[in-house]
Amino acid sequence: MTARTRPGAGGPGACPACLRRSWLLGQLSAALDYRCRDPSRFLDVFSLEQDELLAALGGRRRAELAGRLRELQASDLAVPDHVDALCRHDPRYPASLAGRSAPHMLFVSGGSARLRMLARAPTVAFLGSARASDYGLETARGLARALAASGVTIAGSLAEGVPAAAQEGAREARGETVAVLAHGLGACPSARRRRGLWEHLQRHGCVLSELPCGASGRRFGALAAERTVAQLATVVVVVEAKAGSRELAGATIARDHGRAIAAVPGRISSALASGPHALLRQGATLVRGPEDVLELLYPEQADRAAAARTLAVDGGVALTRSQRALLQAVAAGSDGPERLCDGNANPGEVLLALSELELMGLLVRGRGGRYLPRPGPAI
Amino acid sequence: MLALANAFTVEGLHTRHVTVEVDVRAGLPAFTVIGLADAAVREARERVRAAILNCGFEFPARRITANLAPADVPKAGPGLDLALACAVLGATGQIPRDRLQSHALLGELALDGSIRPAPATLAVAHAARRAGLGTLALAGPRAHEALLVEGLEVAVVERLDSAVRVLSGGPGDPLPAAPDRSRRAAEEASALVDLEEVRGQHHAVRSLVIAAAGGHNLLLSGAPGTGKTMLAQRLPSILPPLSAAEAIEVTLIEGLARARAQGLAERRPFRAPHHTVTAAGLIGGARGGCVGEAVLAHNGVLFLDELSEFARATLEALRQPLEEGRVAIARASHSAVYPARFMLLAATNPCPCGYAGEGDRCHCSEAELARHRRRLSGPLLDRIDLLAGLARAGSAEAPARALTSSRRARERVMQARERQSARLAGPGPRLNAHVDMRSLQPHVQLDQRGDALLRAAGALGLLSARGQHRVLRVARTIADLHGSERVRAVDVGAALALRPEAHLAERETR
Repeated sequence: MTARTRPGAGGPGACPACLRRSWLLGQLSAALDYRCRDPSRFLDVFSLEQDELLAALGGRRRAELAGRLRELQASDLAVPDHVDALCRHDPRYPASLAGRSAPHMLFVSGGSARLRMLARAPTVAFLGSARASDYGLETARGLARALAASGVTIAGSLAEGVPAAAQEGAREARGETVAVLAHGLGACPSARRRRGLWEHLQRHGCVLSELPCGASGRRFGALAAERTVAQLATVVVVVEAKAGSRELAGATIARDHGRAIAAVPGRISSALASGPHALLRQGATLVRGPEDVLELLYPEQADRAAAARTLAVDGGVALTRSQRALLQAVAAGSDGPERLCDGNANPGEVLLALSELELMGLLVRGRGGRYLPRPGPAI
Repeated sequence: MLALANAFTVEGLHTRHVTVEVDVRAGLPAFTVIGLADAAVREARERVRAAILNCGFEFPARRITANLAPADVPKAGPGLDLALACAVLGATGQIPRDRLQSHALLGELALDGSIRPAPATLAVAHAARRAGLGTLALAGPRAHEALLVEGLEVAVVERLDSAVRVLSGGPGDPLPAAPDRSRRAAEEASALVDLEEVRGQHHAVRSLVIAAAGGHNLLLSGAPGTGKTMLAQRLPSILPPLSAAEAIEVTLIEGLARARAQGLAERRPFRAPHHTVTAAGLIGGARGGCVGEAVLAHNGVLFLDELSEFARATLEALRQPLEEGRVAIARASHSAVYPARFMLLAATNPCPCGYAGEGDRCHCSEAELARHRRRLSGPLLDRIDLLAGLARAGSAEAPARALTSSRRARERVMQARERQSARLAGPGPRLNAHVDMRSLQPHVQLDQRGDALLRAAGALGLLSARGQHRVLRVARTIADLHGSERVRAVDVGAALALRPEAHLAERETR
């Protein structure tokens, strides 16, 4: 791989001090993962300077790492050609990432110019459980699709579950997205798994990481990525997460930084809904559809969002009475054709109506032939 | 003196004509069997000696050499006993040698000289007629199977004495009474399970009837305990009875695989191999030419429970039988083509823990789900026409009623099959699932609404070209079940709602 080095902090680029700190993070990843068990206390680690970091986490390797840090050559800190290295002293560094706990370094794939453009637009981040239900995944996907189609930038990690579903939704709308990786660039396993999403990100979005290329970051990386996502966003939407889970750490950071928090409600009996419900009690905005998020982003146009909501009840499509009833039954949680056909004199007509609703984009057929409502406009 | 007798050995699904040559001449007393005989044939020496002596005949105290020709074909099983004994008797002049050569002999000898039935009677009878032999002598219990072959005389021989009498020109033993088919059928019907026992799950039962009517492959998906296996076990009860030709095919296969006691097959095979089955176990081709479960399921049902637990290589091996209705096996020692046209019925949990889609009861991570989907996806799922989800019954509801009884469902299935075979007259397959698209095309003319549905599904990327054909086939079957000449929009809509979810696996990589 051809490599380019950017010595000196004179011109645009990364200053050696920030590059060294990011190298140190890569070396300390095991110790950082261990400290991550308690996310609330861990947030302070982000604001430590290089020497403090080494003192706190170096352990037995402290002396050895300090020696290697001193002897670190510019060639050791090289980044690949297609990656832009920005440190927080760089003028191209996103302004929304402020404060002591913001990343010192950002490795950007997709161009720093595009990152600046994307970060300037209103940005919505999605947080939620990696083990979300079908309903949660489809909700995240639908909301992200609708918001991306409205010109909002979608930010999120590539973690399984809700964050990845939101990225998929943005891709379906060919929208603009910013993905923050838990790993270094070039070491992301989920990128290999989601090849289609990765290609979309290369064309329409940016991929960020604060760890050096090739570094692995498991628990620590995930938490760091969520902190970056929360700071990049204008609004943070929480879809499904258990109360007190690590996935909600991002919401706490977002609140500390004054970001608007919105939450999608669920059934009170579901543990996955306890996180959003707790946030709603603390004053988060209730999300019933993409219009509610748009209203948060553009409060001056609230009346137009309300108009859109009344239109969106049946997607603006003319439906027969039986189709409407079926749509309501699915939205109420009666998901399989077994339950929907139950007691109906003509099950064939029910199946026909289900197929028609699916082809209109109002329903999605999920695992095991179950149907799910599809929020947001059909693309 | 030399004598020849005719016998048959089974190799896989094929019967080979074996000439038993016995030479008796002066020398130290010995009895040698040569010609690639297995242990059962070599042990026949002792049975033959004891049977001949116990029936009052003379066993020569001379040097006896028996050769089984052709010498390079392995011979297996005890069915050669009778031919060996008769050849020994012929070589010592106790039986006329010329009559020996026009008879085929099949049977295992007991030490007292009585004859036990040997497996694969029907196949041997077929082979005897093909070899141009006039008469087949065999034990009584399975004589009715041999009688199914036209142009072959059957002589019943219960003991070695009777065989000697037949070969000397005398009459055979009386034919035992034919098994009472009506009584047996009634017994079997009562042993069969009935759809009436399935309470609720109407959607899945309807899908099962559609699959049975058109010969479609069906995947049942549902949480543990929702009744997937129970439904599957009731599929044979709604399939039409075997036709005469099908019954002979099934008897032939089961006889050769030594999986049949006696008589003509009356029930459609229902094979349910455990998910640890190997590719050779499923398809055949293990040593000794064993036939696999797919071949044994010919004209019946192959049920794969816990589909995602099967090894990928095993499932891949099912592609040829699903596509072509036959299995071609080539091994170093032999190669063979077996018929294997079956209905594939598969059952699976929606996710590894089984509770996906039921609130937050599912504890599978997305990586586990992805692995589960990957195992289910691919070429095999591409051959599945219908997906039926089973819902967990609500506990608060009143006990659900059964949708239909097996008898009523079977009548509907048979009527739908009659409509299909009337439409698809001529040689070749008679079921919607097996017909190629070109001959089905004239019978699936859609109205405007149905056409629009199918087009929209294609345009949205929900259906591939193959998927559209599959939906058309299923829609045709649903129309047949309703007795409709034309395929209506409601049939297309229902077929669309029942299509398998092949798109799920593609979603991530698309």
